[in-house]
Amino acid sequence: MSVTTNMDHFILILLSMLVAFVPRYFPMKIFASREIPKWFNEWMKYVPVSLFTALVVKDVFMNTETYEFIGFDSVAKIIASVIVMAVSYYSRSMGLAVVVGLIAVACLSLVVPI
Amino acid sequence: MKKSDTRRKEVFQIALPLCMSYIPIGLACGVLLHAAGFNFLMTALVSLLVFSGGAQFMIASMLTIHAPMQTILLMLLFLEMRYALLGSSLSQYVRGTSKKFLLIFAASMNDENYAVNYLKFATDKTWTPQNALSVEHLSLLFWTVSNLIGSLAGGFISVNLTIVDYALTALFIYMIVMQIKNRLTILISIVSGVFAVLSMAWLKSTMGLVVATLIASLIGFALEDYLVKKGKNKAFLLKKIKPNAGRKEISKSGE
Repeated sequence: MSVTTNMDHFILILLSMLVAFVPRYFPMKIFASREIPKWFNEWMKYVPVSLFTALVVKDVFMNTETYEFIGFDSVAKIIASVIVMAVSYYSRSMGLAVVVGLIAVACLSLVVPI
Repeated sequence: MKKSDTRRKEVFQIALPLCMSYIPIGLACGVLLHAAGFNFLMTALVSLLVFSGGAQFMIASMLTIHAPMQTILLMLLFLEMRYALLGSSLSQYVRGTSKKFLLIFAASMNDENYAVNYLKFATDKTWTPQNALSVEHLSLLFWTVSNLIGSLAGGFISVNLTIVDYALTALFIYMIVMQIKNRLTILISIVSGVFAVLSMAWLKSTMGLVVATLIASLIGFALEDYLVKKGKNKAFLLKKIKPNAGRKEISKSGE
């Protein structure tokens, strides 16, 4: 089902709200009265880092239309990513990391392929 | 009266850095949502109801590549699954609150206000669930307003969307860096990256992200379990990386 009209957007928003709400609410509610199973916690620990890396790799190393590996073609994004890593590590500030990343990729795109 | 006023001020001061950091990201997100075809009202709705930077960027970029609705929702489900962990780790602090409170509290929780509230609950005995909710609502306000301004600005100026889209990637890189606790986390991150390339090239779709996430997180889970059972808690891979024992810990286990 493709998403084009305002009505489609509205349906998408309502369903997204549900998808966002269920994992935020039920575990909090359930574990307010009982213990969290250890295996669940141990497994969930690695989900965010795995997913975020996969998403970053998709943006930096993949062509999002053909899903082909583009290697080190987008030099601007690769250099900007190294800069963002350094800024995140030393400043621990999300806002600064994103702003520096945007400025870096914008400036670099003037001289190297993005 | 006086006491509650100073408390309100304190809550505001605690929420402020977080709210400020939402402005640039919210603006970028608003511009992208506009480019993806969301009108002003829809942008307001998605900010208020979904309230997740990652999810909203994801919706915008998936719409621009004309992904079908079920793919978008499946990706969102994976993206939002981490809140199960965040929510369960906060649960001990919201014991005894009403059902209605818990509903409202859960709906406006996200990564950043979670981090602020978790730290406050853990270090400040006087921090109440009501204070935590105020932090959530302040961040929600700043986020929604920035999104709306971005959405309006997107109608007047033309920007290179590939560049704006990079805001999401920068946000994820930040979150990866914040979660690195030991060498095993770095290893799992690399494993996930390799599997992401292979499975996306193979499946020719974003389902590859789901496959990579499942494989990498299960490898991490199994490897840690193996190392701990072998009694190698202090092994090379599990050794803590120092400067990161910081505020963005998402798990309490093993602490």
